Amino acid sequence: MGTSASRRFKQNVPLLWMFIPGAIFYLLFKYTPMAGLVIAFKDYNLHDGIVRSPWVGLDNFRLIFSNPLTTDIILNTLWLSLLRLVVGFPFPILLALLLNEVRKTWFKRSIQTMVFLPHFFSWVIVGGIVLTLFSQEAGSLNLLLERWFGYTHPFMYEVPSWVTIYLGSGIWKEAGFSAIIYLAALAAIDPVLYEAAAIDGASKWRQIWHITLPGVSTVVAMMLILSMGSIMEVSFDQIYILGNPVVSSISEVISTWVYQLGLQGAQFSLTTAMGLFESLVGLLLILTANQIARRMGKELW
Amino acid sequence: MRASSGEKVFYAVNYFVLSVAGLLCFLPLIHLFATSFSDPGMIMAGRVSLWPVQWNWDSYQALFVGTRIVDAFGNSIVITLVGVLCSMTASIAVAYPLSKDYFYCRRFLSLAIIFTMIFSGGLIPNYLLVKSLGLVNSYWALWLPGLISTYNMWVVKTFFQNIPRELEDAARIDGCGELRLIMRIVLPVSLPMLVAISLFYGVAYWNNFFNVLIYINDTSKYNLAVLVQQMIFSASNPQLAIDSDLQQAITPEGVKAAGVLVMVFPVLIVYPFVQKHFVKGVMIGSLKG
Repeated sequence: MGTSASRRFKQNVPLLWMFIPGAIFYLLFKYTPMAGLVIAFKDYNLHDGIVRSPWVGLDNFRLIFSNPLTTDIILNTLWLSLLRLVVGFPFPILLALLLNEVRKTWFKRSIQTMVFLPHFFSWVIVGGIVLTLFSQEAGSLNLLLERWFGYTHPFMYEVPSWVTIYLGSGIWKEAGFSAIIYLAALAAIDPVLYEAAAIDGASKWRQIWHITLPGVSTVVAMMLILSMGSIMEVSFDQIYILGNPVVSSISEVISTWVYQLGLQGAQFSLTTAMGLFESLVGLLLILTANQIARRMGKELW
Repeated sequence: MRASSGEKVFYAVNYFVLSVAGLLCFLPLIHLFATSFSDPGMIMAGRVSLWPVQWNWDSYQALFVGTRIVDAFGNSIVITLVGVLCSMTASIAVAYPLSKDYFYCRRFLSLAIIFTMIFSGGLIPNYLLVKSLGLVNSYWALWLPGLISTYNMWVVKTFFQNIPRELEDAARIDGCGELRLIMRIVLPVSLPMLVAISLFYGVAYWNNFFNVLIYINDTSKYNLAVLVQQMIFSASNPQLAIDSDLQQAITPEGVKAAGVLVMVFPVLIVYPFVQKHFVKGVMIGSLKG
């Protein structure tokens, strides 16, 4: 038998073998694309490849930030995701609070089953549902409007109603599933607290105010900080599927722009510059969020 | 303990609001179901709500005969099954070493992996890489770059970490090798969590839209998500290779609803069996690893 160091080595041999494929995966598919970001500073063309394409410095970034078209796209991205965060944030909390007050287990379980379900649907399906309900020609809502009032409304083609549908579909899809984390926090509250409060004659409202809400406040604060990190993230699938040219003044966001101009228009360098900007802002936001969380004694890593 | 009248009102309102929320999540599907089985005239007159009016199969017949949805269904199954198998194997293989405190460079490797969650090369460098590897138009373009979801892998790792050491120590004393230990002890005790993670991977592969859209050019290789999306959102009505009799008997709305339901169906089948597991999965994932 050798020393503890050689014993540790022996223990590590099978682990290292196991780890190799994963290491290759992370190096090849996660870190190599990061190196590929250099084309943001180059004038990339397929013929010369990444290495031999000429350097252009910050030209691509200048182009992005001097063109009102692209700055609008950045603003759209920020605007849509901020709206999503602000409007969407309370729904899972409210849902969890309501579910927490249900005494009948079968009822609670069936409601949970129903509200978790949309999380597992693709945006294609949600888009299909949205169109079935709101499309102008044959959407159920417009068919009813037509029948009752004799007119139809272009829900998908006007900015206010489109934004409402965008926000509503996001809440519909994710509010239930996001409630899980709050439900867990609520379940962790000591039932003795409620019993004591009830004996002291505290009403339902006072119990919610003094026990339930303080019990989830830390998790709520954490989730709020965490969501800050995703301010630059707008789901490509959702926008691509729900969007249409008529509302493009609001529905054109970074990810759809990169897809159209980069992949379909082969403007690789310009769109990579935009992608790098997006990634850097995202990184900055996450690190800031973690700093704030650390102050609260709950760092994320 | 008797409820006061104020509390009674509270409970009544609560049950009512929750019922509405639950139904809101479910009724749109019922409406699609009703539309897909209804007579086109009734659909266009706005008379179909939650139950089919004048039952018929025409929409489905047009869908199955007139589009490549059967092929796409098969493709989605292949993408999902192979994908889940590869992803689970790779995730477990990465998670297990990281869960051991004696693993070399554990802290450094963990940080290097977590960093990829908060910073990435983005779409274009990824696309150029996949292209230069010659994976375009092959399902490997879906399986390889998406092999490990770091979030899912981290849940697996955290779970492995919380397995009582005594279990493993006992097996080691009995002369169990690492592989046997994993197969006989670690994986069986983690089964509910592994089911939940497989479901998360499975749903992601089944619903995969973007990667198929950008990497798969051959329309015969499309999965359901892309096929159904193109059918629903094409500016013109879906091109159906069907005879004129059937053409007369359907409306695009019915066929679109049928397409959505075909894609939702497997999810609805699997969902009840795994529902109790994923709540646990989310909970482990939310804990600091």
